[in-house]
Amino acid sequence: MELLLDFSRTTGIYDFMHTAWGWPVIETLHFLGLSLLIGTVGLFDLRMMGLARGVSMKALHGLVPWGVAGYALNVTTGVMFVTSDPGQYLFNPAFQTKLALMGIAGINVLIFYRFVFGSVRRADADARAPRVAKVAAAISLTCWIGVIVCGRLITYYRPPYHWCFWC
Amino acid sequence: MDALVWLEGTAFSTWMRESGPAFFSTLVFHSVAMGFVVGVHVATNFRILGLAAGVRLSLMRRFFPVLWAGLVVVSLSGVLLLIAYPAKALTNPVFYAKLVSAGAALLITRSLLKGVLGDRSFDSGPLPGKARLMAVLSLLLWAGVVTSGRLLAYTHNMLMASDPF
Repeated sequence: MELLLDFSRTTGIYDFMHTAWGWPVIETLHFLGLSLLIGTVGLFDLRMMGLARGVSMKALHGLVPWGVAGYALNVTTGVMFVTSDPGQYLFNPAFQTKLALMGIAGINVLIFYRFVFGSVRRADADARAPRVAKVAAAISLTCWIGVIVCGRLITYYRPPYHWCFWC
Repeated sequence: MDALVWLEGTAFSTWMRESGPAFFSTLVFHSVAMGFVVGVHVATNFRILGLAAGVRLSLMRRFFPVLWAGLVVVSLSGVLLLIAYPAKALTNPVFYAKLVSAGAALLITRSLLKGVLGDRSFDSGPLPGKARLMAVLSLLLWAGVVTSGRLLAYTHNMLMASDPF
């Protein structure tokens, strides 16, 4: 925890975040990043799950780099939150669950691109996605919605009044 | 102001405020649904601007049921949040900025639906400058909605009309 705080202090993030506008501005960017992710990766997942047949999955996947940019923005802004007030996050069950869901989503991404994406990319615009792709898409969408839910709930669980895995 | 004091005093408003699960589940629905509302707009506007050009433009409308469902959830949860803290929002200019931005953004969406999104001759190939301009405006307005929404938690002049200071 000291390590995180030291990082935040030496980089100047801490001082910025504790100005009047630091937290709200970074929160706003965090929400814009999640909107990018939902609008690209989320819609690609929905297409694989069967919505919007006729939309070429290969072409729609062209938006995904923007989702990755949104993800990068959110990792950056997320690190700014956590390192500037680690006690509110590390011992917070909502944050812990959020990290776990991000982990599952990450593993799902690796499996998807290693084993599934090839067949999705070759599919016709009108085709249904293969069953395995539907499963990967459902896992992805569930995880990302869960991540938003947990993110919003971080302010509901105020440590140290709640349980956590290691305290 | 009397009306706000009355509304705050109703059992439902009090319950919305004081029940953690009620208030926070409403916030959660509002945030997730807003993510989808803005998300569908992001994808559609990006497509209009020329990204993912292989997607037939008119078919982007097939994602719009998600947008409409999201709008319903956003509106209902928004009303509930307003009932919980009516004075907090209604005495804050930022709240009206949020509503006006959302309204203007939805007018653009309607105009795009009647225009390029509803016309299959625009399914592929570059789009008119006017449509692209509207897409940029739409993105800016939604960013404004998100920004003002987030700022509502920080810029209010009062929390409760019955206890203004």
